[in-house]
Amino acid sequence: MNWFLRGVFGGIRTTRYPKKPETTPGTTPGFPVRAEHADAQQRSLTLVCPTSALVESGDAVDVRDDRCVHCMRCAPGVAPSPLTWRYDPQWAHATRGTIEDAALGGTFRRSMHVRVVDAGDCGACLSEILHLNDPLYNMHRLGIFITPTPRQADVLLVVGPVTEQMRLPLLEAYEAMPEPKRVLAIGACAASGGVFGPSFTSAGGVADVLPVDLVVPGCPPPPLAIIDALLALAGSRAR
Amino acid sequence: MIARHAAVAALGALLSAAMIIAGAAAIAHHPIAATLPALPFLGAPRFVMTPFSGFFTLFAGLVAFPTSIYSAAYLERYPRSSKAWFALGYLLLLLSVVGIFSAADVVSFFVAWEIMTLTSSALVAYEWHDRGRVRAAIGMLVMSEFGTAATILALLLAAHPAGALSFASIARESSAISMPARVFIALLSFFGFGVKAGILPFNSWLPRAYPAAPSNVTAVVAGVLVNCGVYGMLLVNLVLVPENAALFGGLALLFGSLSAIAGILYATIEDDLKRMLAYSSIENLGIVVAALGAGAVFLSMDRLDLAALGFGAGLWHMSNHSLFKSLLFLGTGAIEMRAGTRRMNALGGLARAMPLTAFVFLIGVLAIASVPPLNGFASEWLTLETLLRSAEIAPAAIKVGFVLVGALLALTAALALTCFVKAYAMTFLGVARSDAARDAKADVSRAACAGMTLLAVLCLLAGIFPAYVVQLVDAALPGVLHGHLSQVLLPPFLAANGGGLPQAFVHDFTAIGAAIGTGLIPGRGLVLLHRGAAANPVVFAMSSTYIAAFAGIIVAAIFLAILVVRHRRKSAAAIWVGGLNPHLPEMSYTATGFSNPVRVIFEAVFDPRTVEHTREAVHDHFRVAVTRQREDAFIADRLVTEPLVAKARSYAVSLARMHHGRLEGYVLYALGALVAVLLVSLFL
Amino acid sequence: MNTTRVEASSLVDACKHLGETGWRLATIAVADSEAPELRYIFQGPRGEGWEQLVVRPQPGSRTVPSLTPSNVSADWFEREIEDLFAIDFVGHPRLGDFVLHDNRWAEGVGPMRPGAPIREALVERAWQPRRVLREEGAFVMPVGPVYAGEAESALFLLETVGEDVVRAVPRLFYKYRGVEKLAQGRSAQDALLLVERANGTSAFAHAWTYCMAVESIVGINVPERARHLRMIFAEMERVRRHCAVIRAIVDSTALWVGASRLLELEERLLRACGAVAGHRYLFGLAAIGGLQRDVDDEALRSIAHEYAEVGKRIRVTVEELAHTSSFLDRVQRVGVLDTRHANEFGAVGPFARASGVASDVRQLQPYGGYADVELEVPTANEGDGYARLRVLTDELRVSTALIGRLASHVPSGDVRSDWSPHRGEALGWTEAPGGTSVQLLMLDDDARCVNLRFTPPSFRNWQNFRWVTEDFAFQDFPIILSTCGLSVAENDR
Repeated sequence: MNWFLRGVFGGIRTTRYPKKPETTPGTTPGFPVRAEHADAQQRSLTLVCPTSALVESGDAVDVRDDRCVHCMRCAPGVAPSPLTWRYDPQWAHATRGTIEDAALGGTFRRSMHVRVVDAGDCGACLSEILHLNDPLYNMHRLGIFITPTPRQADVLLVVGPVTEQMRLPLLEAYEAMPEPKRVLAIGACAASGGVFGPSFTSAGGVADVLPVDLVVPGCPPPPLAIIDALLALAGSRAR
Repeated sequence: MIARHAAVAALGALLSAAMIIAGAAAIAHHPIAATLPALPFLGAPRFVMTPFSGFFTLFAGLVAFPTSIYSAAYLERYPRSSKAWFALGYLLLLLSVVGIFSAADVVSFFVAWEIMTLTSSALVAYEWHDRGRVRAAIGMLVMSEFGTAATILALLLAAHPAGALSFASIARESSAISMPARVFIALLSFFGFGVKAGILPFNSWLPRAYPAAPSNVTAVVAGVLVNCGVYGMLLVNLVLVPENAALFGGLALLFGSLSAIAGILYATIEDDLKRMLAYSSIENLGIVVAALGAGAVFLSMDRLDLAALGFGAGLWHMSNHSLFKSLLFLGTGAIEMRAGTRRMNALGGLARAMPLTAFVFLIGVLAIASVPPLNGFASEWLTLETLLRSAEIAPAAIKVGFVLVGALLALTAALALTCFVKAYAMTFLGVARSDAARDAKADVSRAACAGMTLLAVLCLLAGIFPAYVVQLVDAALPGVLHGHLSQVLLPPFLAANGGGLPQAFVHDFTAIGAAIGTGLIPGRGLVLLHRGAAANPVVFAMSSTYIAAFAGIIVAAIFLAILVVRHRRKSAAAIWVGGLNPHLPEMSYTATGFSNPVRVIFEAVFDPRTVEHTREAVHDHFRVAVTRQREDAFIADRLVTEPLVAKARSYAVSLARMHHGRLEGYVLYALGALVAVLLVSLFL
Repeated sequence: MNTTRVEASSLVDACKHLGETGWRLATIAVADSEAPELRYIFQGPRGEGWEQLVVRPQPGSRTVPSLTPSNVSADWFEREIEDLFAIDFVGHPRLGDFVLHDNRWAEGVGPMRPGAPIREALVERAWQPRRVLREEGAFVMPVGPVYAGEAESALFLLETVGEDVVRAVPRLFYKYRGVEKLAQGRSAQDALLLVERANGTSAFAHAWTYCMAVESIVGINVPERARHLRMIFAEMERVRRHCAVIRAIVDSTALWVGASRLLELEERLLRACGAVAGHRYLFGLAAIGGLQRDVDDEALRSIAHEYAEVGKRIRVTVEELAHTSSFLDRVQRVGVLDTRHANEFGAVGPFARASGVASDVRQLQPYGGYADVELEVPTANEGDGYARLRVLTDELRVSTALIGRLASHVPSGDVRSDWSPHRGEALGWTEAPGGTSVQLLMLDDDARCVNLRFTPPSFRNWQNFRWVTEDFAFQDFPIILSTCGLSVAENDR
């Protein structure tokens, strides 16, 4: 009873996102942005980048989102001439067509069930997914639920580079899901293998194993970016 | 060879058909009587089929008929055993049962009873080369004979004032029996017939003999022979010595409810399908006897309506038990035929290979677990409800007793559900847990299927149309009770005066009942309801017919919904087991595992004996084996039979010391005996 | 570190001697360039350092005598090495199916060997779990590898006859990413990324361990300011991770209000990290020679304040839990690890400290700046779930206080020293949130990683899990699991 009352009198602490932007410091590590007219020092960042996420194209420095592992070597405060970093939560991108094409839409807007599969995650992405349940984010208010069985899941959320020993369980989970279904790859490892893959024991991301619909890069992507991607899959992301 | 099976089956079927016809005729008041030629010393045995005995005969026939058909297929399991002996035993058994139910005097009753006891024991030991089975049969025989001795004593005591052995004269002079003699009669007859009826404390033969017998024999033993015990109890305490009602009622309530709970507890934790069903027989007969006891207590208080309810509930449940229990035993036989084992831990997934057996077994399981609209539900509902009606009777102590019995029976019903969910799921669903179960590829042959299907249909019909069975039971109720049950139970719109219920209520029910009853299903009485007395104006109403209709609609709706939804979401993948590949049989729940919570909770009742509990490890740290073995000895064995046998053994040992071989000693014995006889004759 | 070469035949006796004088086996490393060479690294008692025994198998053979019969804490090390290097430990009772699962990999691959045919060894075949329970109706209840809502992938085989579980055997390494193998040949800087991402929830501690090893190889000193800040960040990470474990414990007892509150507090800690260090999990903060970026002193003080505030709230919540009988009933006397087993199996961290083993490398072999700070190491003796919860809470209190003390006077100056490549071999160690993290690193002339042996605390603690899960009730399983606070990712690497 005590606990119940404490819960009730704790008040509402939940973020207003996506209706209003969330600006509390520390909710996101940010993400590097393509520099159109890069200076020499910025161009030299491509040599520093450990996963070749930064590539030169003409006089621009392009960012290959999927490969960025947040080593921070091109971030403000670290690099002498850093890239611009953005701090909005819209990190997701589709693998085929536009994000809107990946949406389930229809009744899924109000109720979408997600099965999380850990395919070799380091714990950071899983921790961020766990925080979707946090009263500060509370994904349930958006009609997104985590389900323990893929049989009732609409979205397969995969984290980690897909290790050799998780490949079959992951495939089984995917096959157990009813149609229509979507696969969401969360984090740099799931997007491209990150620092681990492809290797003798890891695939180069989920796309090597399953047809991926939506990718959220980042190491790890913050809860808001994951919520944004889930809303995009449900078909109810604010435009 | 096949011809011999068929001949046995045909003879059995013929005899049981005759039983059905005779029983039905007797209930319909066409009594059949026969007097055999006089025997030396014993007089002429006389047999009369009253409606009361007709009811027992009818259900004996209804069990024996499908079982006989089934036997044509089942006897194939015993290619090397003699079919002629089987036929002889089986037919004699059925005949003796008819004899028991229709005997009109003490001698013919016990002659028939002895034939029944001997033939049934012989049939249990049909596989006589197996020592275990023979021992089980001998145990059954010994306990039965002790019971018989007790009941002979009871009947002789009852016959003493009348000075004659015919039942009619005993009943006439029953009021002359002294009080202490009546107590003896009640005790001796209750525990004596209780041996056959499987009532605590003298029922340890039952969980041994049932699994030992061939399944078709077990079906008859469970469906017919236990009823003989009930018949005997009622014959002595209700028909012959009606003054015994209160005494019998008390005993029956106490030992009935204890048998019910003990039976179902042991059934729940049992792994062997047949032994599980045997314990479940103890449970069901416990319920029957408790309901009869309630009726007897009400009768002693001259509450004929409530007494009719109690006796009606008891007889009804007994007849239902005959149907579903024999169905389940036949089903078990079918499983044994195909999977080669009846250990639930080694079965699983048989529904795919044996769809028909699975379906009829499901009906039996639902019936025995008292799930509406099957037949077990109606009678168990009525039993519990009869106990609730004790609120209307005066003495508080009796009320408390009834409430306790009611609570025990309610717990029993809940455990029965657990028990039979386990039985069905572990046998037919999931994955096969042994090679034998995996190798079961086809359903049993047509004759076996026909037998089981017939019983399943009977269970279903008796469940959906309870009002017809109520009339049947009512017709069978002996003497003063006759006719009361229909009056109490059948809906008021059938009674001319409206049954004394408020007009509006009668009107509503009349409207519903008439509309549905006349429009859809022919016949009358789809609702069973009755009302408490003025002090307790509760209306008890139940209709398994409506429940059946409702359930049908719901099932149809679900099917429709699945049909509609299927187009939108489907997944054809194998079952999801957490991504573990492959899912091994040893990773699925076992029967023991399923029922282990019950075992843990009721540890005090089971009082298990740890036979072995060892842990082995290499280098102190690497477990290689944890071996555990425990025995749950049946409570009747543990508390009654084993101590008795031990006592008897020790007496036998001390008596054996008399045989010391010295002549003077033996002379002394003779002298002592002579003196004792002289003394006794002097004083008498 | 003292290095002694021993003959294979006298290895067991040498190890026995060390064990009897209070030295605990910290890791076994293998250098496998031409011929395999095994290094048995022992951690000394307080005031002592580290001891290394080097053993070479007979030329041409890949067998060494197993330590396990005389020192069970070597069990998992030997099983791992057998799988990864195809070195046979003679006398070990249970080799095979460990890191490389038998149903996916052929026997004897040894992927860590140079030039091992790894991908060719992939197979698909049946696997049977080892069962020990012999009882009528006994069966194995599999939990995993994909189970619960957001659980890490691991398989637990619960041997039971229903209700009472006789034992639970973990089958880990579903998430084996081969950090140690991948590090080979990478530059020292890039290998740091691997170590950091081996376990995201203790990233800074492992990164620090690694940096410590590199710094002692190349022979540089870390600036005073960086030493100071490293301690602050390590303690911040400890507070956050302990908060997450406490939350998981409360969550497993289905006390949602408490769990939600702790989840919210954990998020506040994450945001504080993000605000001051630029990354919520402190990735990219540690660097060889110091820290990759400097932080603002003022921001640091306000974050220290935030940590003190959140820490207080966590303690208040735990205090309230201590007065909730339904919670206590479920954590007390479950998953008991007694002191003897904790010692014999080499448990470390708060997991060991709750069983009366006061092993904290910050105190035993101080590193960084810990020699200069006063440190209280809370312990408990019961070894049950509640003891672990209390130790976590006490450590959280100690750490928040330490953060406050450290943040109040941060020395000024650089946060990073320059360094130049140097070949060599060195040991790094820190007290990660889960316990002692040990890394043995070998660099070549170009500061490329030749060999990395990374022994995280979870690896050593998972070994104890089978003692924690002997004879328990099935419904307690998630509670036992959560109170242990073990990371699968950290173990699997």
